[in-house]
Amino acid sequence: MNSFVDHTVNGLIVGNIYALLAVGLALIFGVSNLINFAHGSVYTVGAFIGWYAITRLQAPLWLTILLVIAGCALLGMAIERIGLRPLAGKARIAPLLATIGISFVLDQVVQLIVGPDPRALPGPLPNWRLQLGGGTIGALDLLIAGIGVVSAAVLYGFLRFTRLGWAVRATAQDRDAAQQMGVNIHAVNQSVFAIASALGGLSGLLVGMYYNNISPAMSFQATLKGVVAVVIGGVGNVPGAIAGSLLLGLTESYGVALFGTPYRNLFAFLLLIAILVWRPNGLFGGTKKLPPEPLTGTFIAPSRPIRLPTWAWAALVGVLIVLPLVVHAPYLLQTLTNAWLYALLALSLTLVAGTVGQISLGHAGLLAIGAYASALLALDGHLPVPLAIVLAGLVTAGLGTLLVYPAFRLRGHYVSIATLSIGEIVALAILNWESLTHGPIGIAGIPPVQFSNRLIDAGPGFYWLTLAAVVALALLQNRLLGTHLGRSFRAVRDDDVAARAHGLSPNRYKALAFGFGGFAVGIAGALTAHLYSYINHETFTSQISILALTIVILGGMGNVAGAVIGAVALIGLPELFRITAEYRMLIYGAALLLLVRFRPQGLLGTH
Amino acid sequence: MFHFESLVATRRALLGWLVATAFGSAGAAPAAGEPLYFGVSGPLTGQNAQYGAQWKAGFDLALEDINANGGINGRPLAYLFEDSQSDPRQSVAIAQKFVADPRILIELGDFSSTASMAASPIYQRAGLVQLGFTNSHPDYTKGGDFVWSPSISQADSQPLLADLAVKSVGLKRIAVLHLNTDWGRTSKDVFVKAAQERGAQVVASEGYQADEKDFRSTLVRVRDAKPDGLVLISYYADGALIASQIRSTGIHLPVVAVGSVYSPKFIELGGAAVNGIATNTTFFPDEPRAEVQNFVKRFRAKYNREPDAFNAYAFDAVNIAAQAIRTANTTRDRRAVRDALYKIKDVPSVVFGKATFDPTTRRVNGVRSVDLIVKDGAWAVRDEKSAKAAAVAAK
Repeated sequence: MNSFVDHTVNGLIVGNIYALLAVGLALIFGVSNLINFAHGSVYTVGAFIGWYAITRLQAPLWLTILLVIAGCALLGMAIERIGLRPLAGKARIAPLLATIGISFVLDQVVQLIVGPDPRALPGPLPNWRLQLGGGTIGALDLLIAGIGVVSAAVLYGFLRFTRLGWAVRATAQDRDAAQQMGVNIHAVNQSVFAIASALGGLSGLLVGMYYNNISPAMSFQATLKGVVAVVIGGVGNVPGAIAGSLLLGLTESYGVALFGTPYRNLFAFLLLIAILVWRPNGLFGGTKKLPPEPLTGTFIAPSRPIRLPTWAWAALVGVLIVLPLVVHAPYLLQTLTNAWLYALLALSLTLVAGTVGQISLGHAGLLAIGAYASALLALDGHLPVPLAIVLAGLVTAGLGTLLVYPAFRLRGHYVSIATLSIGEIVALAILNWESLTHGPIGIAGIPPVQFSNRLIDAGPGFYWLTLAAVVALALLQNRLLGTHLGRSFRAVRDDDVAARAHGLSPNRYKALAFGFGGFAVGIAGALTAHLYSYINHETFTSQISILALTIVILGGMGNVAGAVIGAVALIGLPELFRITAEYRMLIYGAALLLLVRFRPQGLLGTH
Repeated sequence: MFHFESLVATRRALLGWLVATAFGSAGAAPAAGEPLYFGVSGPLTGQNAQYGAQWKAGFDLALEDINANGGINGRPLAYLFEDSQSDPRQSVAIAQKFVADPRILIELGDFSSTASMAASPIYQRAGLVQLGFTNSHPDYTKGGDFVWSPSISQADSQPLLADLAVKSVGLKRIAVLHLNTDWGRTSKDVFVKAAQERGAQVVASEGYQADEKDFRSTLVRVRDAKPDGLVLISYYADGALIASQIRSTGIHLPVVAVGSVYSPKFIELGGAAVNGIATNTTFFPDEPRAEVQNFVKRFRAKYNREPDAFNAYAFDAVNIAAQAIRTANTTRDRRAVRDALYKIKDVPSVVFGKATFDPTTRRVNGVRSVDLIVKDGAWAVRDEKSAKAAAVAAK
């Protein structure tokens, strides 16, 4: 019983910390309909401004807090000005990509300035502790809780009683109507970003002091936990975000208490899925009604796809086929092979996200399923590798569709968040299901691809194999889009109410798309496993899901050729920028931003 | 890249020569001419970037020394560092790059086993030695006879930790917290077995993920198992996080940690909470051995900070690579470099004292260790007096 109190207190302490992150995310989410992937980076910047103020300027706590708030508010305004405003009226998916690019740039800038080492951030607070249950809580716990509650109260007052607050709420409800009523939408967005970022930076400072540990690598995890908390509480609902955070903290704590530490995040993500299925608007989202229209249909801006004539494609594929015979360049071939593997992933995602409108952020999980299925079938099942690869594709198609099934009734960003959690659940299942997956030790000695007696190892053979898979699946998918089925897919994407009225069952079409897409990802994962010879739970991180979505958006949503070209660009660019060493990812992020700025509909346009 | 590296190498060689003439230092003449290369695949950006930065410091120091003293049979040694972010997709591309570059005689890295072991088949088939000097995964060197590792083997070092925890500190009911990675898991399994053989009981074992920040719930679980001491199988950053949360969950027990927490950063991040934590490490700057003192003095002079274990691993790896290339006496033949790894004996090493590869496992055995304790915010050798003081303070 004693430890029940302790676990509850611990859950609330952690939830308290998530709340600070979630409030800022909820604001932006509510007003701009945007998952701000740069929020974690602002949090990191805030922590480092605080570190500079405390350790270098010897500033007192109140001045440190002011500096962090001012610095991050300015940063938030800059993010809105650079990343979002130029994209107003463009494809709604473009700002999402812009925040990903901004987070790359910010993380890299921080790392280049302060170095990659974790640093101590000593808090200047008195070191007294209060006995509570078997454990204790300190001054900082109370300060964090206080700041969380106060900021929520101030925000509530601001949104409720000030003119700017009304403008923010009006913009959140209906952007166009607000604009017609004379609301300066840009000013509203900018102030929302300033407020949210100031809160994000403040939470970075407080969390950094709390753990006495800050590093440039901490931003992604912060974004992830913040987003989960927001969705649990209900999007755009500030008190809901705080309640959601506390609930998330409690769930994690009880999960650890009951099943052990490795299960901590598993419960967080299961909770999220359960809430999305049970109450898609979040626990405190009021009605059970799904969010209004803006997330479907207009989510993907229609644009005229760029088409190359068939002979040009044939010639291009011809050049790619003879390439290994003409030049001896193993590094180039390997880079292209990697690009082909990602092209398979992107083909799947562009079908699911672009054609059917289900923005999946869980494709790394499908990749992992394919890789593990093939590796285990070949190693423990003693099947020939080519057969194992095909079976892995089928397993991924079936299992993937089944796992994503609960997300079918969701729309827009909710699908992204549900699939993101499904990806994380797959990774955690791999880590914990040791009897099958060998847990954290991973699977070593996965045999290379072999056809009868011919070994196809890294090099021209494997290059041709992956290229063949890409060409075959791309042709098939292209063919599919021209058929009745393809039109039905797009009907589901553009307006699922109208589609249903015409007798189409959206869920079946979504399942078909995930099935076909799952097969392509499964093949990609399987080939990757046989190329690497070793995989573990860290081989397919959620960063890969984000990279896959970036590829698809860059190429043009739903565009088959765009997916392949996007993969070549995004796998090739970091290799191209190698010469710049530590600046590589910074330049990559900046290039991404420029591409989104000038081609928001993707390189080849949406289809 | 090439020009830049060779310029640096030349300048370094020149500097070495100047130092050598000015101070009349002993040893051969500084190296001159076209450098010989080793390739490095490791993280310079991304989640593990700090380790790549630590490697570089160790490499540069080792090269300064080697090139000032005749280099490799008169030629300077230099390296090409490619950033992999410790990501297997990039490490395989880098492997192809190095394999196709005839200047590269041996490859060092990658950092994580996911990145290293994905690249192993490429190095193995091309016949270029992959010296994974931080890869302790039990299956790593099974990648083939071109895959070698001078990293500390867990089978070798965990029994020493068990000696410290069970025999010296006297723990009977141990709770283990370990990183849930291949390294942490392997270490934990070996440790648990070794601790049981020494008569102790492991009452709780909790694996946590590398990005975990909050350990309170885990620690309450550990507390409820009623252990008489904690063993941390952690790196310094997560080790310090755990240490600083132990007291706030009402645990007042002795803590023993694996040697990889040994870093000045452990104390910086952990503050007062790490006082009294015991560890045994293969690298300790105050150790009087000549290899260690030479390394530590020059590291402090060059970088103006304290070296840690990863600096030492990188320093040692370059010395092993240099010794192999020197013995092979080649500028092109990669196979000869591999064959030389079987021949070289007793390479002076900060970590091992003298490093010799076991020809069957292609690993280095015979790890030594020093028992340390954190005393008043500094690492000190653990003796009876400091141990008693820590035991009193823990109560």
